Parts: sequence; structure tokens; C-alpha cells
Amino acid sequence: MDRTATLTKKETSGHESQLGLDTKADRLTDHVKTGVVSQAKGSAYIEQSNTKVVCSVFDPREIPRKSGYSVNGELYCEFKFAPFSCIQWRSHQPDAFEKECSLILRRSLEPAVCRHEFPNFQVDVYALVLENDGSALAAAITCAALALADASVPMYDLVVAATLGVHGDKKFMDPTVEEESLCNILPPDGRSRNHGIITAAFSPAHQQMSEFAQSGAMDIDCATSSIQLLREACESIYLLSQQCLLKGVTKMLKKKQKEIKLDLSSDRIAC
Amino acid sequence: MAEILLSEAEKTFILHGVEEGFRCDGRMRLDYRPMEVETDVVSHASGSARLRLANTDILVGVKTEIDTPYPERPREGKIEFFVDCSANATPAFEGRGGEELGTEISNSLATAYQSSQTFDLTALCILPGQQCWKLYIDILILECGGNLFDAVSLAVKAALHNTRVPKVKGACLDGGTVDLQLSDDPYDCCRLDVSDAPCLVTLCKIGDHCVVDPTAEEETCSSGSVVIAITEKSLVTSVFKTGVGSFHPQTLIDILKVGQTIGLSVNKALRAALLEEEQQGRKKECFGFLK
Repeated sequence: MDRTATLTKKETSGHESQLGLDTKADRLTDHVKTGVVSQAKGSAYIEQSNTKVVCSVFDPREIPRKSGYSVNGELYCEFKFAPFSCIQWRSHQPDAFEKECSLILRRSLEPAVCRHEFPNFQVDVYALVLENDGSALAAAITCAALALADASVPMYDLVVAATLGVHGDKKFMDPTVEEESLCNILPPDGRSRNHGIITAAFSPAHQQMSEFAQSGAMDIDCATSSIQLLREACESIYLLSQQCLLKGVTKMLKKKQKEIKLDLSSDRIAC
Repeated sequence: MAEILLSEAEKTFILHGVEEGFRCDGRMRLDYRPMEVETDVVSHASGSARLRLANTDILVGVKTEIDTPYPERPREGKIEFFVDCSANATPAFEGRGGEELGTEISNSLATAYQSSQTFDLTALCILPGQQCWKLYIDILILECGGNLFDAVSLAVKAALHNTRVPKVKGACLDGGTVDLQLSDDPYDCCRLDVSDAPCLVTLCKIGDHCVVDPTAEEETCSSGSVVIAITEKSLVTSVFKTGVGSFHPQTLIDILKVGQTIGLSVNKALRAALLEEEQQGRKKECFGFLK
């Protein structure tokens, strides 16, 4: 999310006429896949239109620099933009925005992970944005939850996330970079002065919102009505995530069955 | 956050109390603890404030400096927040221990002040595209007794209210270099308009209810809190969750609505307190740190 980029007035007016609350078209281009990084315990890759995020989860390890016993295991999350992922070059060192995103990522995932299952241990979650075309944080949260599930980390439910951009009377589900920078600036004098970006993480099985991060400025009605919109958007990604996991499991089972068959046949030969 | 050890019995006591609408210090669920605010406490700062909320003690100093504006926002000044969690507050902050909490608080303030509807950064512009004022807002946590977000945001607003930016009499571009003429009189200053600056309100969910201004003990009993930034015009400029828990969407909506009403009254109370202090003028009794 490039917050510094701003649009000139001419561009913004052009945008407004073209865009409305257009969610369906974006959703069709979603792709998710698990088990993409062979070295990681679990991994996932997500494509939300042009936003591409890869996430890997590693085996639990002892919490570094900690002497006391902790009843609950810890989740270490790192959110990083690849240097070439945005319009401007990103430094290798995490900046303030990336640190904030890492924190939001952790806050979104923590409630869904059964942390009491691995006391005194820490699970590392790394999310890397390969290409940023808006809503990268939401994509990273969805992707990280899939990677955690792929790594067989015990969880209560998957976490899915969605972003909503608000600019005046218009709302953008899963905004692109241009839409995001539009939502960061004040709308011209008119009826509504609301503007801002909301990222929400949601666990549909228990109907729990694990994170609701809003920036910008909007009235309370706009914020509360967005909750429902975001929830509906999350439910639609949830199905996709579930299917993706199911596919992964069936594939693995088939592979195992094949191996068993092979074993049996080799046994016969030995007899 | 500083770790506080509570036994299960103590936790149940707090939980049942909140359910009945009583809290350990005699407050209701939506009551704040008494607050003390004093401005102009540091002579070398352009603006300063000290806020004490029960055992939480915050000192904020604002320094002004001349800087070049961001190329994409030539007509705006800059504002930077830094939170220092001193090891005086709690031994857990020793070394780099308080760093994580510090960045969390400063990031939340930066987000809350991001919109141009909150704090007018154009007032800090000297020469568009060339020079602007940069406000360094340094927040020192002297004592930590819970509810840091609310206390820090109120202290920052009070310090900004107190900030005096030197008056620029003239600015001209002389062959690429900027020539500034500042007033000779050090008392000749501009004040900043903080009427739209947001206040953060933390709503801590304990059991089925949420409480305002949690003590450190209450914070350990809760599964999660929602922090809402509200301006005097009742605009929500930032919402985020702290703690490990999660919320049902309807609960979140209810919390946001409660937060709005609380935020408005907190803003009003702070404004009244700052006005009252200002009316006392030079006769004002200085309290400082030793009482």
C-alpha cells in the first residue's frame, strides 16, 4: 500500500466516474495454492488480481532471549514488501508501515491459533508481497492462515481478511493501489467527507472478528455499516480457502494410497 | 505491557464485579479515573504537557524544527511521534523491552492523525514546496498504570494545544535558497488549532461487558480491547484491536457506538480543562513533578 502516492485532481475525477462498489470482478481473479515452498513446514500463495503474496510457516522453535516459562506459545509474524513490489523501491530494512502491518498480521492470526498446544515455543510466519496492487495486508492475512493450516499448526478456524476503501459516498472492496491512495485523501466538498481504509480479519466458523484496523476519518455509521460488508466479503474468500485446503489434503491422501499399493506389490514380489 | 500476576480467584472477583457493574476502585463500567493535566511544564520545549491518570504518568514535549516538505505534499508540514517507554516505569521496559510497545503507540497516533480532517498540517507550511515546520512530539512514559493509549493521546492533544510555533515575518526565495525572517520577540508566536485532534478511547472487554479506562489488573483479565480514535466532531479516525482475543461483529458495532459517546465526552472534558488552565494565565500555580 503506497500511502505517499497521491493522484492529481484530474485523475481522481476520472476515477470516480468509473468505479463503484465492484467486488465481483476482482474476486473472479483470486487464486490460492498451498505447499508452494518446499523448505517450509507450510506455505501458501495468493493472487488477488495483481496483488501477489507468498507466505511460509516454519517449525516451532524455542523463543529466543526468553528465560521465563510461557504457558501459551508465541506467534512471530513478519510482513515484508519485496523491494520491487511497489511503484517506489522498498528498502530491505522494514519501515514503520511494514512493522505496523506485521503487528496487524499477528493480531489477526493469534486468536485463531491454539497457542496452548505449543507452550514455550514460537512459530514463525513470514509474508512476502511480491507485487502490490492494493489490499496486500488482507491478502497476506488470508495467505498466512492458509500457510499455518498447511503446516498443521493447530487452529480453531481459518482466518480470512478483506479490505474496504471509503471515499465520500463510494466504497471500494479490495481497492487497488490507485484506489487506496484516493481513499487516503480528503474527498472534495460535497455531501460526505468520509474517507479511509479498513482492513478486517474474520473467522467465519465462530463468527469472530480478530482484527479491525481503520485509518482515515469517517463517521460512526460508515464504520459500523462497513463491518457487515467486510464480513460478507470474508465469507466468500472463506469458501475458496477451504476448497484450496481440501484439494491439498485429497492430493496427499491419493499419494499415500499409491505408496501403500506400491508397498504391497513390492511385498508380493519379495514373497 | 508490564506483567501483573493475578490468581484465578482475583480474576474471578474482577470478572463478577464487572458483570454486576462494580469495579474494584468503586467506578461504574464507563467511568474514567480522575485525571490531572498541566501544560507548559518544560521550558525548553515549544509546547509540553504532563498528564496523570491514576498511576499512569505521561510527559509530552513538542519541539519545532524547519524542514523541507514531502514532494507529494508541498503545502503540508510534518509531524512525528516518538514514544519512549522509560525503564523507570517498569523493569520490563529495560533495554529494548519497551520498544515494541513504544512503536505500537506511536504508530497508532500517526494513523489517528493521518487524515487532513484531524490536525491541519497546512498551518505548518512556511513556503510551499520549500520549507515547513516539523513537529517532533516526544512522549515519555514515566509511570505505567494501565490505559496508556488514552493517556498518551490526551497528553499529546494538551501539548499541541500548548505549542507555540515562532512567527515567520517574511519568506522569500533568493536564488534557490530560502530566506526566512523570524520575529525578534520570542513571545511573538502562533498557536495551533487542536480542536479536531483525536482522542483515543480504549474499551476493554471483560466477560460480556466492556469497561472504559481499565487498570493494569483489569487489562490482564480481558481477552481483548478495541481502541477508537474520536475527534470532537465525532469522526472516527482510527480503530484497532489490542490483546489476543477476537470479537463478534455485533459486539464490535456496540463497542464502537459506546466508544463514540465516551470519546465525545472525553474531548469535551479535556477542552474545558485546558480552557480553565489558560484563563488562570500567569497567576497559574505550577505543580510540576513533586507534589
